[in-house]
Amino acid sequence: MFSAKPESALVVVGHGSTVNPDSSAPTLDHVQELRRRGVFGEVHAAFWKEEPSLRQVPYLVDCDEIYVVPNFISEGYFTRTVIPRELELEGAVTSRGPRKIHYCEPVGSHPRMTELLLRRAAEIAPGVPPEETSLLIVGHGTSLNDNSAVAAKREVERIAAQGRYAEVFNAYMEEEPLIAKWDEFTTRPNVVVVPFFIADGLHSYEDIPVLLGIAETSAGAASASEQEVFRGNPYSRRGRTLFYASAIGTEPLFADLILEQVTAFDAAHREPALA
Amino acid sequence: MRDSTRALAEWIAAGGRQIGEVLIEAGDAGFELRHYADRARDDLVLHERADAARAIATFDEAGRFRPLKTAPNLRRGWRLRLGSLSELREALDHLYPAMIGVWLSHQRGELQAVDLRETLARQTGMYRVTQKITDSQADELIGRFCRSEDGCLKHILWRIDTDRPVTTLPPDKLRPAVAGGFLPLLCHEACNLLVAQAREVVKKCEAKP
Ligand code: SF4
Repeated sequence: MFSAKPESALVVVGHGSTVNPDSSAPTLDHVQELRRRGVFGEVHAAFWKEEPSLRQVPYLVDCDEIYVVPNFISEGYFTRTVIPRELELEGAVTSRGPRKIHYCEPVGSHPRMTELLLRRAAEIAPGVPPEETSLLIVGHGTSLNDNSAVAAKREVERIAAQGRYAEVFNAYMEEEPLIAKWDEFTTRPNVVVVPFFIADGLHSYEDIPVLLGIAETSAGAASASEQEVFRGNPYSRRGRTLFYASAIGTEPLFADLILEQVTAFDAAHREPALA
Repeated sequence: MRDSTRALAEWIAAGGRQIGEVLIEAGDAGFELRHYADRARDDLVLHERADAARAIATFDEAGRFRPLKTAPNLRRGWRLRLGSLSELREALDHLYPAMIGVWLSHQRGELQAVDLRETLARQTGMYRVTQKITDSQADELIGRFCRSEDGCLKHILWRIDTDRPVTTLPPDKLRPAVAGGFLPLLCHEACNLLVAQAREVVKKCEAKP
């Protein structure tokens, strides 16, 4: 149970997009859920590319004590450079006048991420025995200036260590192992694919489905209607049964992980008790 | 601790009626919101949940995504009835994110405007190149991109540089609106959309032989 912080504000930071609402949607959903729970005095979203902007945060918030949780899949350029710069942070704790800003780890770094991936994999393929299933965790490639590929590898190792699935692999859109060749490196009759992304968007609605062979390239931009691709499960392709999940960041349990990052922050930065 | 929701209530009690394109009507049963251009219509679709405002604010009339919520393209045809102040606050946070807090900070003398040069000097990565934009290129861009007619309804509180104000927009646009009944939309620092446009200007210039 999360112990409520009625005197504190929670700010969940997302990347956002100027092109479509998909990028910010999960962050706004988690914020809405956390507001409903009433565990913080106030809960806000803030974005790099949408509003409220990171630069509006100091004026947006009423409370003096502020927890900032990046809704990002891993540490990287945004969590280490952009967010601290835009919020003028000095480290894990920033004191400015009466204000205290606590900068938490990104949601994707939480150890329970593994549990969420397994849960999503089980949900998308109900009744399908894991011992006859290959699980693919799809990440951005290493070309991006972040550690999301490292994080995706870490998750695959953890899942493999549990030994529940017959086999677990990382796969990428533009580097080996290529998602397009999924049938070449998997060996089981069932294949479950979970995108390790914070939000659905062109990649999960279209790029990956096309590479998997379960969708055609559309002429226009992907839109919410492309949710269709998740309703077609299971797919029979290349002699296997294929199950395709939406981005892990759309999982409602992300709201719990956001709170757990706050708890973890407090545990790591507890002021030493006076003797 | 300040209380921006109470400040909103006090503003309404004092006769506050409009934020951006949204009219607020306060009555015994709560509040009703609608697009100001729909003030006289009686065929509006009724919504009664604060989060309906999120969907209303997401796309314009033509179904295009609205990355900038203060753009003058809020869609019409709806009214939103809300029973409580906290629901009103939530709806306004969807329609005009951060604007109540920014306005209150301005009222309290706490809002610090940041000149464009300072914003650009801070940029890293793909936006670092924006530092190369000239003052006059910036001035022209702001006049085109931020103008209230078809760009953005915020009032700009920053300058291009300490001694270089924006000259391409009318004086009204460059000071907080004071008209009675309006909660001003304030821009204390250039948004990421403008910074991204500055990048385009610089790139286009560099592409020219
Ligand atoms: S810079 Fe300010 S005024 Fe210009 S478009 Fe962005 S938010 Fe609006």
